[in-house]
Amino acid sequence: MSRVLDAKGKNLRAVSTQLKEMITADGKEVTVKNAAHLHGLCGGLKSGEITIKGNSGDYLGVLNDGALIRVTGNAGKYVADNMTRGAVLVDGDADYGAGQYCYGGTVVVKGSAGDFTATMNKGATVIIGQDVGNEVGTYMLAGDLVIVGNAGHNLGNYLIRGNIYVGGQWASLGHNIKEETLTEADVDKLQGYLAKYAIEADPRAFHKLAPLSAKPFYK
Amino acid sequence: MPVVGAFCVTVHKDVCINAQMPGKCATCVEVCPYEVYAINGNGQMAVQNYNACVGCRICAEFCPVNAIRINPAESEYLSRYPWTFAQVEEIHHKALTGGYLLRGFGTMGPMPHFDQIVVVPSQLAAEPPKDKYREECEMEVVIGEDTCEKPIRLQYPVIFPAMSFGAVSREAKLALAIAAAKLGIAGNTGEGGVVEEEPYYSHGYIDKEETEKKWEPGGYLVVQWSTGRWGVSADFVRAGDAVEVKIGQGAKPGMGGHLLGAKVTEEIAAVRGIPVGSDALSPCRYYDVLSFEDLKKQVAFLRDVTNYEKPIWIKLGPSRPYDDVRLAAEAGVDAISLDGICGGTGASPDLVTQGAGIPTIACIPPAVRALKDLGLHRKVKLFALGGIRNGLDAVKALAMGADGVGFGTAAEIAMGCRACMACHKGNCPYGITSQKPELRARLDPEEAGQRVANFIKATVEEIKILTMLSGHSDIKDLSEEDLRAVDLNTAAITGLKLIGYERRMPWWENGHDN
Repeated sequence: MSRVLDAKGKNLRAVSTQLKEMITADGKEVTVKNAAHLHGLCGGLKSGEITIKGNSGDYLGVLNDGALIRVTGNAGKYVADNMTRGAVLVDGDADYGAGQYCYGGTVVVKGSAGDFTATMNKGATVIIGQDVGNEVGTYMLAGDLVIVGNAGHNLGNYLIRGNIYVGGQWASLGHNIKEETLTEADVDKLQGYLAKYAIEADPRAFHKLAPLSAKPFYK
Repeated sequence: MPVVGAFCVTVHKDVCINAQMPGKCATCVEVCPYEVYAINGNGQMAVQNYNACVGCRICAEFCPVNAIRINPAESEYLSRYPWTFAQVEEIHHKALTGGYLLRGFGTMGPMPHFDQIVVVPSQLAAEPPKDKYREECEMEVVIGEDTCEKPIRLQYPVIFPAMSFGAVSREAKLALAIAAAKLGIAGNTGEGGVVEEEPYYSHGYIDKEETEKKWEPGGYLVVQWSTGRWGVSADFVRAGDAVEVKIGQGAKPGMGGHLLGAKVTEEIAAVRGIPVGSDALSPCRYYDVLSFEDLKKQVAFLRDVTNYEKPIWIKLGPSRPYDDVRLAAEAGVDAISLDGICGGTGASPDLVTQGAGIPTIACIPPAVRALKDLGLHRKVKLFALGGIRNGLDAVKALAMGADGVGFGTAAEIAMGCRACMACHKGNCPYGITSQKPELRARLDPEEAGQRVANFIKATVEEIKILTMLSGHSDIKDLSEEDLRAVDLNTAAITGLKLIGYERRMPWWENGHDN
C-alpha cells in the first residue's frame, strides 16, 4: 500500500527531506500529490517508487540514479534531466526538453513532448508515445530515441552515435544524419519497447535514422 | 599566436655531444614531440623542420650541455605592423586550409592589466604598517558559512580554477589535487568528469575510504556542472565539496568547452561517453536553462541533491560584469568566479581568445559594486580569475574588492609549462595538456604538486607582505584606497585614484551609474 505525501504549500526542502525519509524508513512506494509547484523534485534519488499524482513541476527526477518515477498527469520542462539510472514514466505530455543529458535509464512519455527532447542523450532510452517538437535529439551521443508520432524541424541535428526511430513523418532532418533500413534486430527492439510500455504501433512501420559520421566537426 | 616558423632553433655545434660524437646523444630528438629534430643512419642529429617548433623549449631544458637556444623569429614586429609575421602566416594558413586558427593557452599582447596599478604602502597618514616577520595576517576565506551545513574554509584566498580532465592530463589533475590538499585550498574538476583519485587526494588522503592522511591540512574539490555535462551524475555532484555552475569562461565567453579529437583517448571517451577521437564540443549555453527563473531552479535542485550541505558556485565569463554578477547573486549562490579575458583554455578559436571579453581589471569593480548594491559583498564570495600571475596581481584584485583569486595558467606553469600556446595539439612536452602515455610519463603528480604548492606558498607570502605594508593584518581590510592607477586609462576604467591627481576620475566621484 503506497503512502501519500501531500506537498501542498510546502517547499522543495521540506518535501524532499520527507520523501527521502519515507523511502528509506518504511518501504519504497510513495505517492506525492499537489506537487506541481515544486521544481527539481525527486532529484538524485537512488531508490524508491514514486508516483506524482497530477502534474509535476520542472526538472522532475533530475540526476535520477535508480528511482522509478511516474507522473499521472503532465510533466513540466526538462523531465528526467541528466538521469543515469532508473526510469521516469509520464502518462500525459511533457514540456520542453524531456530526457536531456541522460547517461542511462528510460524516459517514457505517453503523450507528446516539446522542443529539444533528448538533447545530448548519452545512453538513455527515450520513448515518446505521440508527436515531438523541433530540434529533437540534438547532438545525441548514444542511446535510443523512439518517436511514435511525427517530429518537427531539424530532427537529430549533429547525431554522433545512437539511433532515432520515427513512426510518423519529420518536417526536416538536421546535419550529420541519414536514413537507414530497419533491421530485424531493430524491429525486435522496438517491439520490446512498445509491448513493455503498452503503446500501440507497428514496429515495422518505423523509419530508422543513424549518424553519417562520428567525427563531423573538424576534418 | 603559434604560427609556422615563429621560432629559430639554434644548436651550438661546438658544444653539442652529437655533433662531436654522432650516435652518443639524441636527447633533443627523443624529447621533442613535434619532430623538429631528426637523426640519420649515421647517428647524426640535424634540425629537419624549423617550422614545426612551437617554442616549448623542452629540448633546451633536457640538453645535457646547454647547446640549444630557441629564439622568437619575429624581430620585425614594429617595422611591419600591422602586417606582422604572425598576421601574414595566419592569412596563409587560412588560404591553404580554409579553416580558422585554433589554439590553446590564453590571450596575448597588450591589454589593460594589473601592471598599471601600484600598491600604496602605509606611512604617517594611514594605519602604521604591520610587521610581516613577527605578526600574523588573517587570510582565511569561508564560503557558505550561513547557508550550508558544510562550508568551505580556504586557508588562503586562492583557488585553482576549472581545468577539465581531457584538456589536461590525469597527472596534472592529480598534481593540482595534491597541491590543494597541501595548501588547504580548493581545486576544481572542470567539465570533463572526475578522476577517480581526485576527491580523496584533494582532501589529503591516499585511499578512497579516507583513513590514511598523507597531505596536511587537506583541501577541497569543487565539481563543475557545465553545459556539456560530461561525466555528470548524482554521485559526481556529491563527490565534491561544492558545485560550480559554469556559465562561461574568460578565454572564450559565449562558447562551450572545446576538446579536440586528438585528445579524446579511450579513457577520456569513457568518462565523457563519446566515441574515441571524436571532438567534444560542449554547447555554448545550457539546453536546460531557458530563463533566469530556470537558473534559480537549477541552483535550488543542486542544493537539494547535495542535501543542503555544500556551497553552490557560479563561474562567469567577462561580459557585463555588473548585471551578470547581480543576476548570479540573485540566483542564490554562495560564491562567484569572474574570469577576465586573460583566462586560459585548452583550445579555442584564436580570435575569440584574443578579442572577445573584457580585461580582468575592468571586471572586478563593477562586480564588487553589484554585490554592494545587493548588500551581499563579502557574503557572496567573489573570486577574480584570468591572468593573475603573482602576489602583486592577487593583492590588487583583493584590494579592488575580490575575496580571492584563481591561479590556473600560473599553476600549470609552476608544473613545468613553458607557455608554448599549443595545448590544443595534445602534444604537451611536459605532459600537462597531453593524453599520450609517453608524454604524460614525464609529469610526476607528487613532484608537480609540490612545485605548485611551493609556488602558491611563495605567492601567499607576497600577498602577506603587501597586505601588511599597507597597514592591514587581514586581507579583508584591503580596499581601493590601498591602490593607485599609474595611467589615465587604468584610472578611468577601474575607478582607482590616479597617481599625482590623488583623486578618482570625475565620473567615478559623482555616483557611477551603470
